Amino acid sequence: MRMGVCLASLTLLAGCVTHTEPAELFQLTAETPKRRAMQTRFFETPNEKELLSASAAVLQDLGFQVEESVREVGFLRATKERSAREYGQYIQRALFLVLSLGKLLNPVDLHQKIAAGLITRPLNQDATKQEVRIVFYRIVWKGDGQTDRQYIPPGQQYMEMIRDPDIYQQFFAKLSKAVFLEAHTL
Amino acid sequence: MLGSLLLYGCTIPNTPQDLLGPTDAQLKIRSIQTRTFEVKDRNAAIRGVVASLQDLGFIIERANEPLGLVTAARFAEPNYYDVVSVTVTVRQDTKDRLTIRANAIYNNKPIADPKVYQNFFASLERSLFLTKE
Repeated sequence: MRMGVCLASLTLLAGCVTHTEPAELFQLTAETPKRRAMQTRFFETPNEKELLSASAAVLQDLGFQVEESVREVGFLRATKERSAREYGQYIQRALFLVLSLGKLLNPVDLHQKIAAGLITRPLNQDATKQEVRIVFYRIVWKGDGQTDRQYIPPGQQYMEMIRDPDIYQQFFAKLSKAVFLEAHTL
Repeated sequence: MLGSLLLYGCTIPNTPQDLLGPTDAQLKIRSIQTRTFEVKDRNAAIRGVVASLQDLGFIIERANEPLGLVTAARFAEPNYYDVVSVTVTVRQDTKDRLTIRANAIYNNKPIADPKVYQNFFASLERSLFLTKE
């Protein structure tokens, strides 16, 4: 019985690892236009510098630290670190512990780094229209755990792209207020 | 005893004379990684590179305008264990022509598959073409 549970959880874990060919990763997909639309707004302004510094200010308002900026290509990268503890994960951890009869102690998320990459770009020859594109993602560090007698040390990490449209809408709403301009969708 | 056996395994073979010389493989991979574009505006080309990398789902890590350098990375979704990183350099050849070279790495191993670079340049061309409009 115990063996069965362990095996089942192992096969489930193994099932999650799929390998994507590198060539596929350099190809545009059906999702590309949708994601671009979510991450991009354009503004009717010739002032790219203003847009970039306003973006930095909005990110600061949201608690980010600007880590890198290159004005010539309109690039900003900002991060913030927060706790990643979630109630649900602790319940799941307890459930797994009981189901595996004390053998499996699942590591839970402890800490996360939320990052944003932002690009501004003139859209036309005369640069009267500027595009702002932002991508949010997070890196999560896990705590320790145990499978059978094997101790899992803390510090395992994984990363995920943030694809919740609300977060992007909130950012652009704040940015549009900061520059006193309407944010147009593509 | 065991330690000395292990050490034996590490004996360095004689260094070949042409170690730092160009090899055929190097020349081949360079030609796969390089494309020339009839574009005048270098800055717009760099921005085009950034835009097409973003379209492909890459996270821009670093950019350097004076050197025409863009570094980006992404995970091999849907799994988050394999990492693909790419460095792109944009260099002005003549007044109206520039050379773009991309180096891609998959989990710390250089990618030599021409298909990868073909796909990248195809999406870059799209992005450069859109920028020109």
